[in-house]
Amino acid sequence: MSLPLLERAIAEADPRFVLSTTKLPPPPGPGEQYRFHFDMTKCIGCKCCEVACNEQHGNPADIHWRRVGEIEAGEYPFTQRLHLSMGCNHCVDASCLKGCPVDAYNKDALTGLVLHSADACIGCQYCTWNCPYGVPQFNEERGVVGKCDMCHGRLTQGDEPACANACPEQAIAIEVVNIEQWKLEYQALANAPGMPPADQTISTTRITLPANLPANAQKGDFHRVRPEHPHWPLVFMLVLTQLSVGTFCRLLLDPGQAGAIAALLIGHLALAASTAHLGRPIHAYRALKMWRRSWLSREVLAFSLFAGAATLYTATQSFAIGAATVIAGLIGIACSAALYLVPARPAWNSWTTVAEFYLTAVLLAGAPKLVPIAAAAQLVVLAFKYLRFHQSEEFELRQSARLLGNDLKELVWLRIVLLVGGALFSSHPASLLPLLAGEILGRYLFFVGVVPRNMAATFGGRKVA
Amino acid sequence: MNTRRLLGLDILKEKYRYANDPQFGHMSAQKIPDRWVKTTCGYCSVGCGMLIGVKDGQAVSVRGDEEHPVNAGKLCPKGLSEHYTLRADGRLRQPLLRKNGKLEPVSWPEALEALVTNFRAVQAKHGREALGVISTGQLLTEEFYALGKLVQLGFRTRNYCGNTTLCMAAAAAGYKRSFGSDGPPGAYQDFETADVIFLIGANIADNHPILCQHVERNKAKHLVVVDPRVSKTAMLANTYLPIAPRTDIALLNGMLHVLIREDLIDHAYIAAHTNGFAELAASVAKYTPEFVAQITTLSPQQIVDAALLFGRAERPFLAWTMGVNHSSQGAETVNAICNLSLVRGKVGLSGASPFSITGQCNAMGTREAGFTSSLPGYRKFESAEDRAELAALWNVDVETIPSARGLAYPDIIEAMVKKQVRALWIIATNPLVSFPNQGLLRQAMGELDFLVVQDGYHPTPTTELAHLVLPAAIWGEKEGTYTNSERRVSKANRAVDPPGQARTDFDIFLLIAGRLGVKDSLFPNWTGPKDAFEEWRRVSAGRLCDYSGITYELLDREGAIQWPYREGDPIEVTRLYANGVFQFPDGKAKLIPIEWLPFPEQPNERFPFVLNTGRTVEHWHTRTKTGRVEILEFMSPKAWLEMNPHDAEKLGLRPHDQVDVVSRRGRVREVELRITAIVGPGQVFLPFHYAEFNSNFLTQSAFDPISREPNFKQSAVRVEKSGVQR
Repeated sequence: MSLPLLERAIAEADPRFVLSTTKLPPPPGPGEQYRFHFDMTKCIGCKCCEVACNEQHGNPADIHWRRVGEIEAGEYPFTQRLHLSMGCNHCVDASCLKGCPVDAYNKDALTGLVLHSADACIGCQYCTWNCPYGVPQFNEERGVVGKCDMCHGRLTQGDEPACANACPEQAIAIEVVNIEQWKLEYQALANAPGMPPADQTISTTRITLPANLPANAQKGDFHRVRPEHPHWPLVFMLVLTQLSVGTFCRLLLDPGQAGAIAALLIGHLALAASTAHLGRPIHAYRALKMWRRSWLSREVLAFSLFAGAATLYTATQSFAIGAATVIAGLIGIACSAALYLVPARPAWNSWTTVAEFYLTAVLLAGAPKLVPIAAAAQLVVLAFKYLRFHQSEEFELRQSARLLGNDLKELVWLRIVLLVGGALFSSHPASLLPLLAGEILGRYLFFVGVVPRNMAATFGGRKVA
Repeated sequence: MNTRRLLGLDILKEKYRYANDPQFGHMSAQKIPDRWVKTTCGYCSVGCGMLIGVKDGQAVSVRGDEEHPVNAGKLCPKGLSEHYTLRADGRLRQPLLRKNGKLEPVSWPEALEALVTNFRAVQAKHGREALGVISTGQLLTEEFYALGKLVQLGFRTRNYCGNTTLCMAAAAAGYKRSFGSDGPPGAYQDFETADVIFLIGANIADNHPILCQHVERNKAKHLVVVDPRVSKTAMLANTYLPIAPRTDIALLNGMLHVLIREDLIDHAYIAAHTNGFAELAASVAKYTPEFVAQITTLSPQQIVDAALLFGRAERPFLAWTMGVNHSSQGAETVNAICNLSLVRGKVGLSGASPFSITGQCNAMGTREAGFTSSLPGYRKFESAEDRAELAALWNVDVETIPSARGLAYPDIIEAMVKKQVRALWIIATNPLVSFPNQGLLRQAMGELDFLVVQDGYHPTPTTELAHLVLPAAIWGEKEGTYTNSERRVSKANRAVDPPGQARTDFDIFLLIAGRLGVKDSLFPNWTGPKDAFEEWRRVSAGRLCDYSGITYELLDREGAIQWPYREGDPIEVTRLYANGVFQFPDGKAKLIPIEWLPFPEQPNERFPFVLNTGRTVEHWHTRTKTGRVEILEFMSPKAWLEMNPHDAEKLGLRPHDQVDVVSRRGRVREVELRITAIVGPGQVFLPFHYAEFNSNFLTQSAFDPISREPNFKQSAVRVEKSGVQR
């Protein structure tokens, strides 16, 4: 791999590199990396950086690799309305990178920047859930994610990033930081009102705050809760894999080939559905790559094994293969659940996710005797979940409670009615339909009802991709 | 979407490729042009230098001009996305004529025939002045100059005004009263050299963001922001003075009172360079800090502190914009500001002046090239000498030059209601969003026999009403000059061709002159804007706004130049009146006693809130352009109403509620409520850009008797939850 920055650092005769000494700090040395510095005392909220970023990268209007948000504190006339401008924080412990199933991310050896390869990316969007700042954004048109790379290409030519170049107030700059030193300092220097806590990923952006800014300054979008993307292919993939695994569990104790064929077909359908979630379905197989690190890879691996074993079991009806099928399937559900346990999405990051997924498997296993118990348990989990959201100190959880309790209230009630109704008539084979509908609706609410951690947005702007 | 894309084999690598531009380095390859064309931004009056990137005849990008003295390479978000305005949906491509109630495409000859025939018919039947013309600070100086001649000397109607009356007429009128002429004395450089800067009713962070870098460069300044709303600009202040709405005159008089009391005035300067001090001093005797505190809601100490800060400053700079101008006492407020600078002898010095920040890209050029509120070159309609001079320059009969100005913009509208003005020609402005009291305006429009709208876009709320729509080229498609707030003349250049059959406004004016039979007498041998500029140089020669030394070649070679710039004496003059010689016959400035008056429509029980209006950084005026730029719309898609938390609590309103705003004149429906402490209790704020939530259904027909500028702010309104009838 070529490292143009390094090459330029060596080839000092290059006139463009001479230029770099004025616009850029010298390239980072060992144990150092580049980072942004944002000076809130200088920012006037003009959003030049946002537009310049899109022009630099040719991005469509709904993708904003740099965003400006608002925060407000105080009583009139001592009000403070201030702005945040953020690109990627090029974290020390980047969660986008750690979750990526295809190793599309790397932390650049020379600059420390978190870089993303569109070629490697399969558009699974797992990084968009993992990042607490909403930095990686899925480009619908391309089918891949993209993110701020600090204008790496400009850096290699000695030019500052487009945002810093466009800022009329010199509120954005880049600096070199010593990573070990930063680990000692970042709590004081990387945190700001309107930003998620920096310790999740050790954000490297240094933020200069006004001296008298209250820590409880409110986000500009504080009162706006918008449902998240429903990810329909994943709704079906989760519910149907869980149905299939549950059914194979039942069949292991109470064999029957017809049931197995049905469960097998549904299982395959579920896995096929999951590829529709990808921006680049043809490259779905690549998702196996990072099984040592990524729960998404592990999920794909477990369910691939499950599908293979289930196919064999359906054909052979061998108990040993059946047992293997069930083990792979149960591990698969565990992987599914584990991949949603991400700190950046607090509503998911709880044992309730694990419980919900396994209970779906029980509810849809075709075992009528278990249904009332499982339904009761599912209700308890739901009740616990909403109570937890409601009473949480965490902003995002309270917002989830508001979303589910207000905007999505009717759907929440429908989900409960379907669950209870299905359970009451569980002895009737047709009860599987309301139960299935209830779980699908439940999973839909799971996706749309999450409020991700993110930096403050503006009051009125549209939602970025 | 194709199959390869659906499968994920195609990730549009070509579209998202990067490459190197020889001038601007690494960037998105699709934005790299074949050539960069130097020009000046077409939005506001800051006057930023920029380059338009042209690829295959299309504008694909813009960049700030790093060598330009105004912006040093920076652009605001509107400027940074300005190239999209050229390719936006809704560009007018051909003339449209209303036939059987419907606008239908017609040829240029048919359109011109319709215009001239109908205007002539109305004038024949109802008198020459039954034709009204409303133009704009969006035109190039060359176009505005040509239009003025065409209207006043060709169509022979005096009822000609510009949308600049909605914007900076108060500043122009105020300067004339204080200094004897229009013409801002200061320059942007003063933001960098001042020791104390007062920004009065000027939210530059939203409205003129690129000016902020001049303020930011000045590390030693003390910045005072005077504004009832805690604007983005207020956040930059060392001292923020949250005065009650439109009490600035009281504050200024109070400061003057303290200056006199503390003897912080320049007696020698007052004696040598001003008239009227005794009357002025007497008039502010009652404006004690205690009295002013009652009016402004500031404390007496704040008023004294502000006065002392100003009075002890070596280089005090007083800049203002629409908070001052948008007032029925606008011109007088400007005089109150000028009084302060004059008594301290701080006019036209480095870092020390009163200074109006203007609105539109060429509002200044239109003020100088005139024909609306004055004759070209700051000449006066009333002056026989000025008229004779112009008649000689133009080789026309002096009797054809009017000896008094015609109706101003609001008076043209009123004359339409009275059926005195029967035909109207609107050029590059959108009164159906921007004019106050829309109910009355719509009634007036309905009375017209013939309405021509010349614009770059269709539909706009105004083009939709027209009998005839003329398709005009816009910024980026035409050549000429803009003059910015600091009197700096910049070249705007043609980067791309206008779409379809659209023509430059300049060409349209010449075509009409030809059809009218006045082309040879008024525009002899003119073919392009340069001919107009050459004549304008001669017409402005010897005047305060002297362009005679400026040529297209010089502008192309040297960049933007401030007037006056005299032929044969080519020295750039950064500031006016440094020698203390003003434009009155005796060379002395006037100190004018100004009384503070309460704003016309006070809140009451039925309409308890004071409605303030203003802008947001993403949008320009009525959004004809910026509403068509995706990224700007994305960032600011709709209007909102700001209300203080205490008021919201009293009304039982919650954030993001949809509310109706109601005044005596109209109702704006379903505005999203923003509960915020940046507005004070009893005040609400609504941005004026949005036709869908048009604040001008609420605003009043109250105009400055001096400048005719509308009192856009301070309407009495109530706020109701939408859908709930009381």
